[in-house]
Amino acid sequence: MSRFLLCDRQTGWALALVLGYFLYLFLGAMVFQLLEKQAEAESRNQFKVGKLKFLQNYTCLDGPALEQFVQIIMEAWEKGVNPKGNSTNPSNWDFSNALFFAGTVVTTIGYGNLSPSTIAGQAFCVFYALGGIPLNLAFLKQLGKALNMYLVRLERCLQRPGHSMVVQALTMTFFLVAGTLLFLIFPPMIFSYVEGWSYGEGFYFAFISLSTIGFGDYVIGTDPNKHYISVYRSLAAIWIIFGLAWLGLVFNLGTELMEKIFQLKWHKTSRMTVENSITKLEDQLDQSRDQEGR
Amino acid sequence: MSPRCSCRSVAAPLFLTLLYVSLLLAGAGIFWALESETEQEHAQPISQTKWDELRNRSGMEPPQLEAFIKDIIEAYKTGINLQQNATSVLGKWKFAGSFFFCVTVVTTIGYGNLSPSTTGGQIFCIFYALVGIPLNLILLNRIGQWMSSWVHRCSSVLGKRLSRPRMAKALTGSCALGLGLLLFFLLPPILFNSIEDWSYSEGIYYAFITLSTIGFGDYVIGINPDQYYPPWYKNVVALWILFGMAWLALLIDLCIRFLKDCDDICQCCGIRTRKETEELSDSSQDSNLQPVLQEPTEKVEMSSNSEDVKPEIDD
Repeated sequence: MSRFLLCDRQTGWALALVLGYFLYLFLGAMVFQLLEKQAEAESRNQFKVGKLKFLQNYTCLDGPALEQFVQIIMEAWEKGVNPKGNSTNPSNWDFSNALFFAGTVVTTIGYGNLSPSTIAGQAFCVFYALGGIPLNLAFLKQLGKALNMYLVRLERCLQRPGHSMVVQALTMTFFLVAGTLLFLIFPPMIFSYVEGWSYGEGFYFAFISLSTIGFGDYVIGTDPNKHYISVYRSLAAIWIIFGLAWLGLVFNLGTELMEKIFQLKWHKTSRMTVENSITKLEDQLDQSRDQEGR
Repeated sequence: MSPRCSCRSVAAPLFLTLLYVSLLLAGAGIFWALESETEQEHAQPISQTKWDELRNRSGMEPPQLEAFIKDIIEAYKTGINLQQNATSVLGKWKFAGSFFFCVTVVTTIGYGNLSPSTTGGQIFCIFYALVGIPLNLILLNRIGQWMSSWVHRCSSVLGKRLSRPRMAKALTGSCALGLGLLLFFLLPPILFNSIEDWSYSEGIYYAFITLSTIGFGDYVIGINPDQYYPPWYKNVVALWILFGMAWLALLIDLCIRFLKDCDDICQCCGIRTRKETEELSDSSQDSNLQPVLQEPTEKVEMSSNSEDVKPEIDD
């Protein structure tokens, strides 16, 4: 009987989840459409006007020729060749860029400003990702654990009997605030300074990178007109790795919070008992460790 | 226990880090070797012959030409299709395109063929992703659980009939793997081949890059203006993405578990630790509502199995 009830509730929950998911997608689609359509139309018109002006200035060039010209440039751009300037641009696939590319593969960011074009490269990319993504996840998990460990240690230091909830909330906010400062607030300042983006764009880039969405509309270190110091990219790589671990924890937290809210399982009593049992086990472990340490 | 354990808790992350760095370096070297030559091959004809031809034909001064090219690339970056009277379905901020964009955000695929350019759009995108990504994770988790529960059910039924549970498990496991591979990786490229005019290997590459949520955006479905797309096409692809991602997440989870098992076997800790781990994992299995940050450190340090149990709790 209870099993049936459970089953029923679960299917209901799953249904609600699916419905909510699609509703969320539709909602987002509408908002984005609202926000972006205007700007798109504007820039499209601007480009059309630009083309017309261009044609007026250069009468020897007719419409189809211009179309062809545009297509050639787009193809070049798609293949990763920078059509601007002279033909002796530095290669996109030198070692540091290849390393950057490998990083975007295993972290599944996938900016796409570089992507393999040969069949061999594509095939290798598939197998490389198949091995690299789990490894990256394991690595990030380990990093998250280390971060978590420091947090728990901090919690321990602050722990007084009877204030566990307060301390937990405090450490949680500390974790969130410090992480936000370190991974989302400060780096955009550097990006905006080095890349010449606005702060908002830098923040957007930081979020899109760390959440592994990776549109590739903003990518650091790709502007051919700028000179980058060599440390810059490696610093960015370190930032990405730690930030990914941190944001992974945050998303994990968000997922569990959401699941709880959906399932309405916010039973304080059961939670308390669970916490108690865990702290008990922790204490036991501490004791056993102390004994063996002696 | 403590000296060995402390040694292990230092050595295992170090080993992992080393492995990670070496993997990155190796990958970088191989991509470098594979791609840089063809890139130059591509670059040569574009920059030499066509370039000069264009320059001659237009009669433009080089600075003006460069400015024009810059304009074109800027426009291209913002997702506009520049060819005349091109009306692609997914490449624009119409409803279908926005919907597709939303899917790429919450699944973190992020092709980038469309991306918000206004400040309002970018800010909304951040908050949208902040809520949408966990939601998507929950859904994928559910789908994965549902799939694995089906596999479990099949294996138990088969085990009863064959009276060999282990063999049945292996059989259904490999069957599920093969079926998933067929359904999510080998059959969709045929569809792409007929509709998008990609080669079969490109289709497989696209399928993998999409389902693993890497999403370079070098191949994206439904944006070629010269192609006719049947109306059911996008919906089928969306379903494929959802289920395929769940399946691939399961597969990757399996890989991680395998890595960890290897780690455990290599540096097997004492029986005592394992016992304690089991106790702890039992307790966490009962709980089911333990936030990540409340996980006690000891468990995290020693056990690698305890949190693998977590996804299957609801079975």
